[in-house]
Amino acid sequence: MDESAPLAVELRGITKRFPGVVANKDIELRVRRGEVHAIVGENGAGKSTLMKTLYGMHRPDEGEILLDGTPVTFRSPADAIAAGVGMVHQHFMLADNFTVLENVVLGSGPTKGVRLDRAEARRRIREISDSYALGLDPDTLVEDLGVGDRQRVEIAKVLYRGARTLILDEPTAVLVPQEVDELFGNLAELKREGLTVIFISHKLDEVRKVADSITVIRRGTTVGTADPRTTTAKQLAEMMVGAELPTPATRTSTVREAPVLQLTGVTVASLDGRRVVDDVSFTVHEGEVVGIAGVEGNGQAELVDAIMGLRPLVGGTLVLGTDDVTRWSTRQRRDGGIGFIPEDRHRQGMLLDAPLWENRILGHQTRPPSAKGAFIDRKGARADTERIMREYDVRAPGPDTLAVALSGGNQQKLIVGREMSASPRLLLAAHPTRGVDVGAQSAIWELLKDARAGGLGIVLISADLDELIGLSDTLRVMLRGRVVAALDPARLTPEELGSHMTGAAQPAGAA
Amino acid sequence: MSVARRVAQSALAPVVAVVIALIISAVVMLAIGVNPLDALRVMVDFGDSPSQQITALVVVLDRAVPLFLAGIAVAIAFRAGLFNIGVEGQYRMATVLAAGVGAAVVLPGPLHVLLIVVVAMAVGALWAGIVAVLKVTRGVSEVISSIMLNFIALGTASYLLTGPLRGSEPGASIITTSDIPESGWMPSLNGIFDLLGLANPPRQLYGFLIVALVVGLLVSVLLKRTRFGFDLRASGLSPSAASASGVDARGMVVKTMLLSGAVAGLIGLPDLLGRDHSYGTEFTSGLGFLGIAVALLGRNSPVGIALGALLFAFLDRAAVPLQIAQIPSSVVTIIQGTIVLAVVIANEVARRLTRRQAERGSVVAAPPTGDGGTGPALHAGIGAGEPSDERRGTPA
Repeated sequence: MDESAPLAVELRGITKRFPGVVANKDIELRVRRGEVHAIVGENGAGKSTLMKTLYGMHRPDEGEILLDGTPVTFRSPADAIAAGVGMVHQHFMLADNFTVLENVVLGSGPTKGVRLDRAEARRRIREISDSYALGLDPDTLVEDLGVGDRQRVEIAKVLYRGARTLILDEPTAVLVPQEVDELFGNLAELKREGLTVIFISHKLDEVRKVADSITVIRRGTTVGTADPRTTTAKQLAEMMVGAELPTPATRTSTVREAPVLQLTGVTVASLDGRRVVDDVSFTVHEGEVVGIAGVEGNGQAELVDAIMGLRPLVGGTLVLGTDDVTRWSTRQRRDGGIGFIPEDRHRQGMLLDAPLWENRILGHQTRPPSAKGAFIDRKGARADTERIMREYDVRAPGPDTLAVALSGGNQQKLIVGREMSASPRLLLAAHPTRGVDVGAQSAIWELLKDARAGGLGIVLISADLDELIGLSDTLRVMLRGRVVAALDPARLTPEELGSHMTGAAQPAGAA
Repeated sequence: MSVARRVAQSALAPVVAVVIALIISAVVMLAIGVNPLDALRVMVDFGDSPSQQITALVVVLDRAVPLFLAGIAVAIAFRAGLFNIGVEGQYRMATVLAAGVGAAVVLPGPLHVLLIVVVAMAVGALWAGIVAVLKVTRGVSEVISSIMLNFIALGTASYLLTGPLRGSEPGASIITTSDIPESGWMPSLNGIFDLLGLANPPRQLYGFLIVALVVGLLVSVLLKRTRFGFDLRASGLSPSAASASGVDARGMVVKTMLLSGAVAGLIGLPDLLGRDHSYGTEFTSGLGFLGIAVALLGRNSPVGIALGALLFAFLDRAAVPLQIAQIPSSVVTIIQGTIVLAVVIANEVARRLTRRQAERGSVVAAPPTGDGGTGPALHAGIGAGEPSDERRGTPA
């Protein structure tokens, strides 16, 4: 990096504190004009906080931001937009019942008097769409667009406002592999036009494919930069997690004969009739961890819902132990011995505004120590919450603390403790260590391993390939709703698994 | 945290809201040329003789009973995350039909009253049940359908009153149903005043007060202590988490609305059984809407609702004395309106403050290293749609 041209974006010593925590510390970032610069780091490493700083959503406590060599101060995203910095959020912010044009101009439309000048807006959107090959029709309704197109609308929105630097927050999380390739094509166009792209991700293969340079963030601070051409995914992963990389690996098999869960031809349809889970069959035995791998959005979430009874099946059967549970309600399934660690604990796993002891009851309303007949056993639940806090190292002042007061890792440990305390036959663990720090992660891994040794059957869904390979006894790969591969984790590298997940590898084993 | 402190904390927002509302009302009164202190003096003046004072007290209590029941009905739905705006229609339908049935039969005392109560609860529940069925089968927002059903209920009640259930003479200026025979009246509680050695006022203290207290107690136990109540509150706090925990979301909507409607059916009965003995064009209206205000004021807790109902009843009583004192009685409406607005705002502010406090609290409680801090409070307000997991900061 020895060129004389000023850097498009430079962050020097950015530190951002929130009450009691330092979210970012001494961040150094140097992004050249016209490059795709990736920022990688684990969930919770501070990537989003950093990008919010750059996008003016909050102000750093220390350090400075330089655009094209000039220091700038952003008081709001409006300032950032005015300075040519735009952000494409991970979750689209589009009005479905508006057209592409209306969404793009919303809040910054050209006006004729008080009326929107549609002709002018249409001309400019066409111009943007053509010059960056976005392929957008200004008059289509957004609700008729696929995910990839919606993302391009978001990009057009940012470009329409004159952005020269685009921040993309985990843009591939919602895309299927073909759409990812299309996105990368769009990014190349942007680059060719001299725009700068900051690309946030934790998917290392993608980052290596698309980025010109990489900055790694760990525990709130930048730990170094890497050249994607000379760095392997493994080296990057080590930079991301640091040297003290805990290992999820289990050594000896504890798989027993008896099946705890058998899925046969399980099929789930989306509202528009698409088969989001298509003819999935597998068996989980006692003491077995069945890992489900796949790029997010390939039917894993729907499969979880189907096993929990939160979504109706259009075909297939579910057998728990010897009972056909296909028609059972969620409560019957939980009472029948299914434990559940949901993917999004705030949405499905906790009542954030309720105290911990009520969260202990959640999902276990029918059983001691939560209930006595038709009544809630407040005393029993409180006492058991204290036990869980002790045994599972949940750090909180007491059972009356509101759940919202706990850190993600502590919330997750409470959920794991709660689900384990009911001694389930089957545990459905969706991303059990997502967004928790390294300490909590290895604690949760230990708990899962112990439970597995005790005969628990586990369905493990994860985006963390090391976690999947390390913990699983068998692996299934899901792609577009189907199980496309059954793999033996003992003889598998993350790279091989990754190629199966994207459909690049030849189907091996079960197809 | 001690119980006293928690009570004080939850009462703080409504109390502050009421004070702010009184200040705003005072400004409005000044603007329309009324001396707020004069108005206040009239409002708190319960009369000179002990008999007058007790009568005024009874008027307040009699008014508070239906308001309390209305507040409870609204609060049950609120707790489950449902907005039952249809309480007005539910109690009007329930009252007119209960009055009709009560007038048509003669039964021994307690049974007659019981029948009227059961009919009222059933009608209220069924009317609210329509809302629930529309919501779970067709996805109709309960807000819209319950408002619409209010109009249908008022129309239907008028039809029943002027048609099949009409009991008053043709040509009478006030149309009513036939009177309920005396066996279907609820005895008053005025005996209490004799027992306490106080002047027995001419006004009847509604016996339904006891029923209302029992309903309040039962609802309180149901919501706080039972599995059903837990499921109901969980549905209100997070529908997705409740579903994942095994709550049948549709069933919960139906059960909650039936329960809310059943309690709503009771709202008209204190007046019907204790004073009017018939339903007519002059029957107390608007209690369902006031119930929403009372539930907000009481933050959906039975004790809070009781206090809110007493406050609103006290304000209502002041309307007549204000008029006598040449002060527009709409002062009362102004105060009630500003209280509702102030309470809504104060409750929201209080909710955010407690949440922020809770989030900060954890950071202090947790060690600086190890499991990390909580999502910074400042984050909560910005960046809608961010993934929840990313809300965590990373400790130094």
